[in-house]
Amino acid sequence: MTETETRLREFESDLVVESCEVIAEDVVAVTLVHPEGQALPAWTPGAHIDLVLTPEITRQYSLCSSPADAHHFTVGILNAPDSRGGSRFVHENVTAGSTIRIRGPRNHFPLVSSPRYVFIAGGIGITPMIPMIAEAEAAGAEWTLLYGGRSEASMAYIDELRAYGDRVTLLPGNDVALMSAALDQRLGTPQPDTLVYTCGPEGLLGAVEQRCASWPSGTLHLERFAAKATEGSVDVEFEVVLARTGITITVPADRSIFRAAEDNGVSVLGSCHEGICGTCETVILDVDGEVDHRDSVLNAEEQASNETMMICVSRCSSGRITLDL
Amino acid sequence: MSTAIAVPRECWYAPAASSEVDRDLLPVRAAGLPVVLFRTEGGDVVALEDRCAHRAYPLSAGDLIGDTVRCGLCGFVYDRDGRCVSVPSQPNVPYGAEVASYPVRESDGLVWVWLGTPGRAGLHRIPELPWLADDAWSTVSGEEEVLASFLLLHENFADVTQVPFVAPEIAPSVLGTTPPPLDVVVSETSVSLHRDFPPAPLPEWQAEIVGCPLDAPYRTEQSGFFPSPAAWIDHWDAQAEDGSWIRLRFTHLVTPIDESSSRLLWAVSRDFALGNRAVDQYLEGIFTDYYDRVIDAMEIAQEVLEIDGPGPEVNVNADAVGVKIREIVAALLTEEGA
Repeated sequence: MTETETRLREFESDLVVESCEVIAEDVVAVTLVHPEGQALPAWTPGAHIDLVLTPEITRQYSLCSSPADAHHFTVGILNAPDSRGGSRFVHENVTAGSTIRIRGPRNHFPLVSSPRYVFIAGGIGITPMIPMIAEAEAAGAEWTLLYGGRSEASMAYIDELRAYGDRVTLLPGNDVALMSAALDQRLGTPQPDTLVYTCGPEGLLGAVEQRCASWPSGTLHLERFAAKATEGSVDVEFEVVLARTGITITVPADRSIFRAAEDNGVSVLGSCHEGICGTCETVILDVDGEVDHRDSVLNAEEQASNETMMICVSRCSSGRITLDL
Repeated sequence: MSTAIAVPRECWYAPAASSEVDRDLLPVRAAGLPVVLFRTEGGDVVALEDRCAHRAYPLSAGDLIGDTVRCGLCGFVYDRDGRCVSVPSQPNVPYGAEVASYPVRESDGLVWVWLGTPGRAGLHRIPELPWLADDAWSTVSGEEEVLASFLLLHENFADVTQVPFVAPEIAPSVLGTTPPPLDVVVSETSVSLHRDFPPAPLPEWQAEIVGCPLDAPYRTEQSGFFPSPAAWIDHWDAQAEDGSWIRLRFTHLVTPIDESSSRLLWAVSRDFALGNRAVDQYLEGIFTDYYDRVIDAMEIAQEVLEIDGPGPEVNVNADAVGVKIREIVAALLTEEGA
């Protein structure tokens, strides 16, 4: 018996833009289909895909179509003034008929079954909430949505959401005081059997995180699509034991674990290389030293548990780690 | 130590073939629940909770009368929606007298039942298995109750390194000597594998059916696919030197009965030697024997887990598919709040 080389990758496919519609000020909904009409991989609410826009620009966008629809992926994209190039590229270059390479879906923001949900969205952060709300509704759960934005004209999916009546509270006008009061009202007192889901700008996420600190652990689920600022820790060389492969490698100070594994011929999954997409999440089997978690996917509790790490950015500040690779 | 692996409920399972469900009461257990299946006079399949609301007694031990089921112990009668419509001892039906009625769909010759939150049924997909109900294919199949968890079965089907050990005679000869690279493709809830074998003789059983010389080289493409905890599908497509193809589809429908036992419905479909009864019998023999051996091995593994508990296990790179299946199932269970 000789060895079997295993090459691991995520689902990847060139899809065709079936429609690219302006659904709010500076927001387009891009719907993608397989060129030969093939079924696309299944996903659950909260999932996102990569759009590989240019060799340099790969960006993550939440799916906001229905998981029941096997043939379409829809993503909502804001042309943000502070865009790092991804959303501007889409707004300037993508039209019906364009081809876009996608990767995924993957989900680091899954909707856990619960009798009650509090959804809090800011701006384009509404996109993952659309299938989440549909699912909560189908499951017969109680839910409310607090949705803030710059103006009504800039807030996507507002008409569909209005149909849900008083479960949906719209807060246009970027009014920080109003939003703050609404958050206090919803999150001021921990509620039993209730999960909180939030997605939006960093200011909102921080405000929700702060108010959920007194709720039971596991209540708050949030998704960041931008790298959190990390303090300037020093990169040093360390050793990683790749348990499955049966080798030990040295990670140089100027290489990530991900790159060092690749350098040693080991096939690993990865996408963003910024610690935000979660693709390279790897199980930690043993730690001798300190893991320096630098990702924006795991929460503080998950990072402290040292069960998994994002090997594209996280490192070891001393000693060695054993990984399930 | 508990070795129980919770069972995902938010999934369409296929506990029976369409042909098995008729004007009789058919009991099946799935995802830890007792279910009774029957076909209405109009031809629809109905799935009800298989336990009378009155006392502990299976409805499947009663009678099918028209489109209603009468309990064999107390005579409560239930309609196709699970509502009790009459009781023998009084004119009115007591409040709360009903049993669960589960969403059902029939496709590709299979009965799919949804045992999760009823409203969620429409948000989940049923795997497409067109070869099971297409005249361009001939299928032989079998059904077994397996004393092993659904996850052990999936890991076995996903483990491409086991076949040469468990059943060397049915595996392509090159599998044991020069296995080609294994491509594994993952997404949130599914995983697939693919590999291309260089030209080599077909396994003897296949060459016999095709009627080609035993040493005729065929280039083979294998794909395996995990669409949900309900199924594992293998494609084995072989191309002769003249460019013609012969295709095989192995369908494994896995329905967890509970945490440590499963129902396995296996089907081997071919697009050659169509409708040939002798070939059917030959294949039935080979694959009944093969699946018996797989089942024996999985029951032994389950026994080890039950006696000694889950031990530390070592993975190799080729386990990537099985490891991903475990991750997908764990994520499904987390989402179910299990």
